[in-house]
Amino acid sequence: MTLSLKLSAEGYVVIAILIVTLLLAVAIPDAPSQVSPSGTTLFAGIIIFLLAAFVASLLYHPKEGQAVSDIFLIISLFVLSWEIAFGKLALLDPMLFPGPARVFAVFGNDYALILKGLVNSLGLLGAGYALALATAIPIGLYLGWKKRLFNAAYPIAKAISPIPPTAYLPYTIVLLPTFASASIFLIFIGAFWPILIGAVYGVHSIDHRLINSARTLGLSEKDMVKKVLFPGALPSIFSGAMIAFILSFITLTVAEMLAATSGLGWYIQYNHDFANYDKVVAGIIVVALVVIVLMYFFDRIQNYCLRWQTP
Amino acid sequence: MATIDLQNISMVYGLNGSSHTALDSVNVHISDGDFISLIGPSGCGKSTIIDIVSGLKKPSGGEVLLDNVPVTGPGTDRGTVFQDYSLFPWMSAFENIRFALEHTEGISGKERIDAEAKKYIDLVGLTNFANAYPNTLSGGMRQRVSIARMFSMDPKVFLMDEPFGALDSLNRIYMQDLLLHLWAQGEKRKTVLFVTHDVDEALLLSDRIAVMSPSPGRIKEVIDIPFARPRCRKTLAASREYIQLKSHLLSILYCEMLDDIEKQEQKLTGSESAA
Repeated sequence: MTLSLKLSAEGYVVIAILIVTLLLAVAIPDAPSQVSPSGTTLFAGIIIFLLAAFVASLLYHPKEGQAVSDIFLIISLFVLSWEIAFGKLALLDPMLFPGPARVFAVFGNDYALILKGLVNSLGLLGAGYALALATAIPIGLYLGWKKRLFNAAYPIAKAISPIPPTAYLPYTIVLLPTFASASIFLIFIGAFWPILIGAVYGVHSIDHRLINSARTLGLSEKDMVKKVLFPGALPSIFSGAMIAFILSFITLTVAEMLAATSGLGWYIQYNHDFANYDKVVAGIIVVALVVIVLMYFFDRIQNYCLRWQTP
Repeated sequence: MATIDLQNISMVYGLNGSSHTALDSVNVHISDGDFISLIGPSGCGKSTIIDIVSGLKKPSGGEVLLDNVPVTGPGTDRGTVFQDYSLFPWMSAFENIRFALEHTEGISGKERIDAEAKKYIDLVGLTNFANAYPNTLSGGMRQRVSIARMFSMDPKVFLMDEPFGALDSLNRIYMQDLLLHLWAQGEKRKTVLFVTHDVDEALLLSDRIAVMSPSPGRIKEVIDIPFARPRCRKTLAASREYIQLKSHLLSILYCEMLDDIEKQEQKLTGSESAA
């Protein structure tokens, strides 16, 4: 594979903006309220990382060069304006709107706490979400397959499913012994319905002629569900699972803000109580990064599992 | 031995109060190794007969006997090929055949199944496409996989519901020849029930042709096709007997069609005057 770097006009602009931001950060002193030497070093590191990431993306995805350039243009413009408006000029309330140096300083100081919170949050999310997948998919497949079961259960499911999972929060906290079990339950409830409805709808969307073709092979009930209904419903299950994932992440963050003593949601809420807005912003950035990374893997898994669909 | 007997088959659908008779006292006997085509205008119940013989639908009256045993449901003793939806899109060509073999009695052992599946993929000339998914194959290739799957399962009888109906005419010629070639290849010819609306296709392939008429679906006439096998498409089409049979078949179907159009017109004018 030969790599060649082709830069469009936007590409040069991106690099120029990032270099200007880097020079601003390093050479020109921050507004007095925003000074943080360790943060400035980290921020400079981040800008250099962005530059490297931009060049690498262009090298490895030359076909999507336009999109890559446009995305990095937006990011770099955002970083530059953040640095000028809040870091250098402190245009708005300097406590509520910290500049990049102060926010990145938080990562240097609090990384252990943030990392621990991240592990905690992901553990709860993984447990609740996996539980929902393991129960909602088989139940949904049978609901979609058995007409009588469907007629009885689906209207009920449709009525219950829009209740926001956090509405159960007071009861779960009272009834379940620990915060972990309570939030796993809430995540499970939040993720369960979209996956269930995705599976039911997926079974219904399978061409009945294909099901007839499967029946001519004399499949057992178990094989029918496992080998035909499940893969046939998979595209729809994935759309349900995506909504479920977003919902469970929201549920988790809200639950942590209200009742936890660790985790990303707690970190944001706790520092809000002490008016440490640089830490709040740092927490929000971590949440955003986690969502981006998880979504990326979700897409990869989905594309692999549905590779048989028409390209 | 594999015979199919359709005894007094009738099929009635209830449609919001009124009932619609799709099939009315259909009697057909298919002897061992016979290739029978069902031909008729659309809506005459040809596909319903396939569905009943394959066990997907239960007839309202009458019985299907396979080797003198009543058919009660679907099973791998009957191999089925539909128009263009026999294959599972989430399995590659090879996996589709392997999956069918795994559910067929008489063949067991992973290695044997894999070897059989590969043999039939090679037989229909799709060696290089074994790992391709159906959506990436052409319509003709998909039907080749479906036919390979049917042959690999080694069922007692073949049921084919307009298997080449969605193909362009050149592909159709190729597939007809392939089917005849594979069918004649074994030690013993399978009993085949083949649904088509193409007169030339029926004449080329069949030992007998059952002509059906619509509403209610009935067998109107069964015609013996006396041509010796192996048949050559070119000489056959030029022979006098072929032309006579073809014009006979076309005239039956044409009368049917005129009747049907007249009925439709009457129905429409009737409903207009009622309105």
